[in-house]
Amino acid sequence: MRNVLKTVIMIEKSNKKNIVACIIVAVFVFGFMSFITTEEKGNLVKERTGDYQSVSSALYKFQIKDASEGGDGSGLYKNLVRQQRVISTQRMSVRMGIPDLYLETSLELADLRDAAFKMEGYKDVVMYLPSKTENELQRIYYQHLEKEGKFASQEPLSYFQFLGYLFGLIGSLWFIFISIYSCGILIEEFQHTSLIKGYPVSFGKYVMAKCSSSMLMTGMFILLLFICSLPLIFYHGLGDPFYPVAVYSGSIEVYSMIKYIGISVLYMILIALFAILLSVILNMLLKNMYLTMFVQLFFYISPYLFPSMMSLVPFNPINYLNFSRILNGETLDLAKPAALQASDGLLVIGVCIVVMLVIVKAFFTAGKLKKV
Amino acid sequence: MLNYFKFEFLHFFYNKKNIAVYVILLFFSFYYAMTAAPSYDPIEKVDAQEMEARYLTKEEFLNSVDMTHEMHPLTAYAVQTYPEWNRFEKERLDALAKKDLKAYAEATSGWYTYSDWMIYAGGDMLFYHPRYYTYGNHYAREDGHFAYLSAASRYGGYADGDYALSIDVFEERTALQTWQRLLQSYLPFILIVSCILLTADIVLKDRRNPTLLRGFPMSPWRKLLAKGGVALFGSILAFLPLSAGLLIIGMKHGFGSFDLPVPIYSHDEKTFSLISLGEFIFQNTAFIILWFMLIISLLLLTSILLRNEFANLFIGCAVVFGEFMYYTRGIGFIREVEWYPTSFIQVGQVLSGYRNYVYESHMLTFKNGMLVIGLCICLALLITFIISNHRKFKQL
Repeated sequence: MRNVLKTVIMIEKSNKKNIVACIIVAVFVFGFMSFITTEEKGNLVKERTGDYQSVSSALYKFQIKDASEGGDGSGLYKNLVRQQRVISTQRMSVRMGIPDLYLETSLELADLRDAAFKMEGYKDVVMYLPSKTENELQRIYYQHLEKEGKFASQEPLSYFQFLGYLFGLIGSLWFIFISIYSCGILIEEFQHTSLIKGYPVSFGKYVMAKCSSSMLMTGMFILLLFICSLPLIFYHGLGDPFYPVAVYSGSIEVYSMIKYIGISVLYMILIALFAILLSVILNMLLKNMYLTMFVQLFFYISPYLFPSMMSLVPFNPINYLNFSRILNGETLDLAKPAALQASDGLLVIGVCIVVMLVIVKAFFTAGKLKKV
Repeated sequence: MLNYFKFEFLHFFYNKKNIAVYVILLFFSFYYAMTAAPSYDPIEKVDAQEMEARYLTKEEFLNSVDMTHEMHPLTAYAVQTYPEWNRFEKERLDALAKKDLKAYAEATSGWYTYSDWMIYAGGDMLFYHPRYYTYGNHYAREDGHFAYLSAASRYGGYADGDYALSIDVFEERTALQTWQRLLQSYLPFILIVSCILLTADIVLKDRRNPTLLRGFPMSPWRKLLAKGGVALFGSILAFLPLSAGLLIIGMKHGFGSFDLPVPIYSHDEKTFSLISLGEFIFQNTAFIILWFMLIISLLLLTSILLRNEFANLFIGCAVVFGEFMYYTRGIGFIREVEWYPTSFIQVGQVLSGYRNYVYESHMLTFKNGMLVIGLCICLALLITFIISNHRKFKQL
């Protein structure tokens, strides 16, 4: 087994595709840095102004009335006016550098929004305001910050903060990237079957070696993400590795940044293994690289096309391929909410990997190779 | 010549990369039709709630204001202007309640004209729709001005002509209007970038088996022409996968009609005029095909000059995104942007006059664009011709 793996890695080393993929990963990381700079992520004033904007748009639908306690405006109207006032206070507290006031008003805003959900006529302004889950994530995050006595804003380009943004985005792209990378994994072999017949090992072992070398490359990609971000330590500092991130996992919780990154990496490794094995099986069935890619991409987008599928079949690995979406709790806000938990996802994908391994093993034992 | 054209043609369509480009375009158009198009949320939408809120606010003010005593000048101003404003608003609301879309269009046109007249002259007392005033946008007032006048002219067109009106038509959601909106945003970029991707390797792929191709009894110049023709044909075909998405939108929101009015801004007169949607789309298509020709002739030139696919991609993208290097609002007043071909890349915005508005220039027109880009094509082809006849380059 070891010798096969060595040979395969030798062959892969000269494969231009790997180098191109590495360059793409590096370019992506650097591009994301400039994206964060131009988008002014972490600029609280900008963020709050956007929020103010949305509430103003919502208020544009209401007749201007007396919004004081005993005034004649509707409940929702008063609530929105108060939200607008609280957001103004938030902006002011950022400009003046009063972090305590900022946290206090953020919690007040979360309470106001929470109250607004139950009010009459909320449906008309729903598009301008954050969803229930988003609001809850914010509230838990601010509560945690208050408890720990941390600031609401971090240097967005400090090492850990940047990795947090990066993994938040990669969750939705990783499966696509790996499926494009691995879609042709066994095409050469199936097109020239006489080639493999000459190898002095069973085809099953050869396939395993191929998968292992691809997994090694995947490990390289993940490492590359960390390595390419290293210069940030020099320019913007390390950041806070225990800074809280609010995520959904059964209930809304706070993870430390390190835990968040750890879970993301674990997910990425399992998803990569899943995608590679899926490629092997689809290669075997379809014998075409492009078809393999399209089928995999179709799997990926099917939860978007048929959102009701998520609550109907919760234990379906396809639901978990975009793990950022799971951790954001986005699936809770669908028309048919699905309470998908990140830990379940790891389990389901893990089980699927075992099943697929068994299938691959069963098909590729030496005797059956001739049929392929 | 014809046989070589056929040969290149087959090569082009069996190229995996080209198939992938078409498939990605198809994917994109499906995605757009499924998710992006339904969530399109225009600022100038038909929203009875907003109208009613504005109407009631003004009405209550008019009812409660005490006109017997001396008033603050601003109060007096409001008392004088609000009744007219509310008359339009009331007409809009009534027409919408009665589902009389023609009357709605007429009242809406009047409302937008009157609102813009009030707000634009009103200094910092009155405002356009709050969604124009986004973070860091110093030109919200100008944006609102343009959008209101454009809407006024569009609704005026709906009221005057004889069209099959619907709320989808008003909000520009029908398939043809979606196409028109996209032409004014990022569709030209997508089409021209796919043209670059399709053309990047059309000459350089021959370097893989040079001995095979040297046997053709043709001059390099004619070969290049044939390749250019194939690339142009392939690029025009890129419209096909994109129109698949339009079919889906059409089934959901209706197809619209080629007669619907499109407002065109004239910077000289500072007014809008109307042309038909069919004419607008035709002009756009012609302009985009001209852009394809420029890109292809440029890439043919760089292919024989630099002989590297990445150089091709880089130069192509530099042309497409070059405008961002010098684009600033109102720069056309100082610099002669109308002579840079890259200023014409946003085809739909050039033709609708929006580019003139943001550049403060009056030369970014269909005619001028044709002239500038046509000259560039001639120049690129001339240099290609001279180089390809040079002995050193004869063997590509």
